[in-house]
Amino acid sequence: MSMMQASQTDSQNAAAKRPSTANIMRWVIIATLPGIVTMSYFFGLGVLSNVLLAAAFGMAFEAAILRLRKRPIRVTLNDSSALLTGVLLGVSLPPASPWWLIGVGMVAAIIVAKQLYGGLGHNPFNPAMVGYALLLVSFPTYMTLWAPPQGAVPTDLWAHISGSLPTAQLDSLSGATPLDAFKHKSEAMLASEFWAAQPLPSGTLTAWRLIAVAWLVGGVLLLVKRIISWHIPVAMLSSMILLATLFYLSSPSHAGSPLFHLLTGATLFGAFFIATDPVSAATSRRGKLIYGAGIGALIMIIRSVGGYPDAVAFAVLLMNLCVPLLDLYSVPRPTGHASRGDRR
Amino acid sequence: MPTAFDFPGGIYPPERKHRSQQSALLEAPLPRQVILPLQQHSGQPSTPCVNEGDVVKVGSIIARQEGMISSHLHASISGVIVEISATQITIDSDGRDDWQRLPEMNWQLSEPLALLERLNDSGIVGLGGAGFPTHIKTRVVEQHSIHTLVINAAECEPYITADDLTLRHYAGDVLEGAQLIAKLCGARHIVIGIEDNKPEAIEALRQVLSTSQPLAVQLKVIPTRYPSGGERQLIKKLLDLNVPSGGLPADVGVLCHNPGTLLACLQAVRDGQPLVSRVVTLTGDALAQPGNRWVRLGTSVRELLEQAGLDRAQLSHVIQGGPMMGSPLLTLDTPVTKLTNCLIAATFDELPQAPAESPCIRCGECESVCPVALLPQQLHWYARAKDDAKMQHYHLFDCIECGACSYVCPSHIPLVDDYRDAKNRLRHQRIETLKAEHAKHRFEFRQARIAREEAEKQARREARQSQNRRTPTAAASATSGEVDLRGLRIAHAAAKASVRKAEKTLARVAQEDPKQSLEDLEIQLATAQENLRAADIQLAQARKQQATETPAPAQNKESL
Ligand code: SF4
Ligand code: SF4
Repeated sequence: MSMMQASQTDSQNAAAKRPSTANIMRWVIIATLPGIVTMSYFFGLGVLSNVLLAAAFGMAFEAAILRLRKRPIRVTLNDSSALLTGVLLGVSLPPASPWWLIGVGMVAAIIVAKQLYGGLGHNPFNPAMVGYALLLVSFPTYMTLWAPPQGAVPTDLWAHISGSLPTAQLDSLSGATPLDAFKHKSEAMLASEFWAAQPLPSGTLTAWRLIAVAWLVGGVLLLVKRIISWHIPVAMLSSMILLATLFYLSSPSHAGSPLFHLLTGATLFGAFFIATDPVSAATSRRGKLIYGAGIGALIMIIRSVGGYPDAVAFAVLLMNLCVPLLDLYSVPRPTGHASRGDRR
Repeated sequence: MPTAFDFPGGIYPPERKHRSQQSALLEAPLPRQVILPLQQHSGQPSTPCVNEGDVVKVGSIIARQEGMISSHLHASISGVIVEISATQITIDSDGRDDWQRLPEMNWQLSEPLALLERLNDSGIVGLGGAGFPTHIKTRVVEQHSIHTLVINAAECEPYITADDLTLRHYAGDVLEGAQLIAKLCGARHIVIGIEDNKPEAIEALRQVLSTSQPLAVQLKVIPTRYPSGGERQLIKKLLDLNVPSGGLPADVGVLCHNPGTLLACLQAVRDGQPLVSRVVTLTGDALAQPGNRWVRLGTSVRELLEQAGLDRAQLSHVIQGGPMMGSPLLTLDTPVTKLTNCLIAATFDELPQAPAESPCIRCGECESVCPVALLPQQLHWYARAKDDAKMQHYHLFDCIECGACSYVCPSHIPLVDDYRDAKNRLRHQRIETLKAEHAKHRFEFRQARIAREEAEKQARREARQSQNRRTPTAAASATSGEVDLRGLRIAHAAAKASVRKAEKTLARVAQEDPKQSLEDLEIQLATAQENLRAADIQLAQARKQQATETPAPAQNKESL
């Protein structure tokens, strides 16, 4: 009898006892692997070089600033949060981004967005998204260099990374992401005409869809391992689907389908890996639901009427702004408070 | 998702109960010496009433209760008092184990008042951990109608099996103890809540359930989850009632007792046996013979553990209580008290030191396990920032210090410790701000005492005078004596009411927040009691005088 009990509780416990903060960060990194592998398969080694460079910059900047702040370096580096920020920014950048672009992004992410606010746990904004947003507004040309899916070693890989590619050549290389292309189709063109015209190089759409599925796989892993809770991704994706459906039903000829919005761009990546960053997200369960729903809604609004095709980064940052308010007004009512009026 | 009959949150720490669950409940060897601390209960320490060199029997009172929230202390072995210090009494055994019991009582035929007195005389306190004097807890119900007595047999902390074993061996007695308490508090239902990881205790209860009378007893087996043994959590789970924040179970008509306490109550009444021993769980990987023992209060922890095969080389630390809410012992040379339910002799691997803490990443895990639905991470933030107003906004004082949040925190932040510190600091501040009032209360107490002494003196003088010359005093007339008597009666009733009110307040505050300092309230109660005593004397005096047609002297009127 007690033998059975013992094993039963042990398994319960394995599910209940949480991994340490460092382990959480490492699990998130592990969960990005399907996405990274799939992206590398379609976009070549440039994806890997992004991730590696960004991660290396992340660690280096974190170490440097910890030294300046006279904080313990090894322990903090060990929590792997800087590494994770690097990985997340790395996969968001166009393949084979020049090293200085990545460097600038990581300076914004680690030094400005994270450490200047007090380090892990104190940053109000998602560091990777701060880096991404800064690059997007400062270097739009480089940030749209999404060449069509190609072989493992793209042409001029090294010139890309080292930043020695002549600017004149950049334009000829830039391809559009599906969201981008769809966003910039001419006003008069119907959605059906757009798709019929096969506006993207062959395989592009499939590539993005498979990448989205790979992020979903990683996200499910995080859910199963209880590294993240379901509240934010589910709220975010639901509100996106809801709004996308509304838009689609109101103008089927011009809006993208809900599935299109779900499977292109950074939607799934954002839902599982960006919006769920605990530090910059709302904390209470109710707050998380509102926070996630807000991100989803903002993404759809920016995609439909705003100037940026993807919008995940801006939506997350905007909702980061709302977190203090959400936290303040979503304080759950402790048990025992319902029945005695305002006795505090 | 919690259902209507459930409390939120909760965790599933490894139970580790099997080690102490399997061996039978044994009697620990009689100790050669016991050390009995004067403070083994919430409230004021008791006051020694014996001298060094006195010979005592098992069950002799050696220290009396001090103030209202307090408890008597009895010798737990027969022998000689060898030392009385400011904090404890030491007795050397004569090895004979001579008992001095109180007369046996039949609880079904006894008056409630007599039963309450017996519980008080027997030094019974809650054996679950807080050590609240049982007769006071039962008296709190004077102002509430209690419909249900809950037997809290959840015993949700890992390791502890004391209640489990108690139920297995004394299921019938525990239920009888419950019937006794139910009679005292007027409960109409008895419900036992027990976690489903104690099949043998459940079976033992089932055997005797139907024979328990006069009230029918309801057995509710609940899933194992920490902290379902928290009073509020259990009441929610069993009865779907929410105990209001800052209130007591009595506010929703419920009284909670754990099995050990109920057994002690029955033994005190039925057998006349005061609280001199209790069941203690001895466990942990550093013990060769873990199990539960009947232990005389005051037995040294070291002796007890060594008898259970303590492996010194393996031992990392000893925890008193459970791993979640207990505290590590600084020394093994400490005695078992009424509050010691469990001793865990842990090895290094078993309960390792918590790793260094890292910053909070706001993951919200702590919130999802909090059984009170607090936001532990916010509390942590404001506790560290010492922002007291914000901490109260986030309901710091609703925290039951269960430790579920610390347990799951991936950053290994000792959250409960933060809250305990913050609570202590806030309590301290409250006391500081009340200091002026405190001084006033002390002054009033002195005044009341002087007035009482004056009344006593006066009464003595009157008595002498009336003996010496039986002639009435000239000035007063018979009618003034009558008016006086009425006034005195009213004053007496008022004094009585204010004593009762002070008692009520004190009992409630002490139970709501056992860690609160009660000094001020005890003083206010003492003041009321002095006033009542003075009124008593004056009233008696006036009655006597009226009976002998002697008018009351003028001073009496003035002192009112
Ligand atoms: S569990 Fe720890 S790290 Fe997570 S929110 Fe709570 S305090 Fe912060
Ligand atoms: S210790 Fe307090 S805050 Fe933490 S889980 Fe328990 S009740 Fe909630």
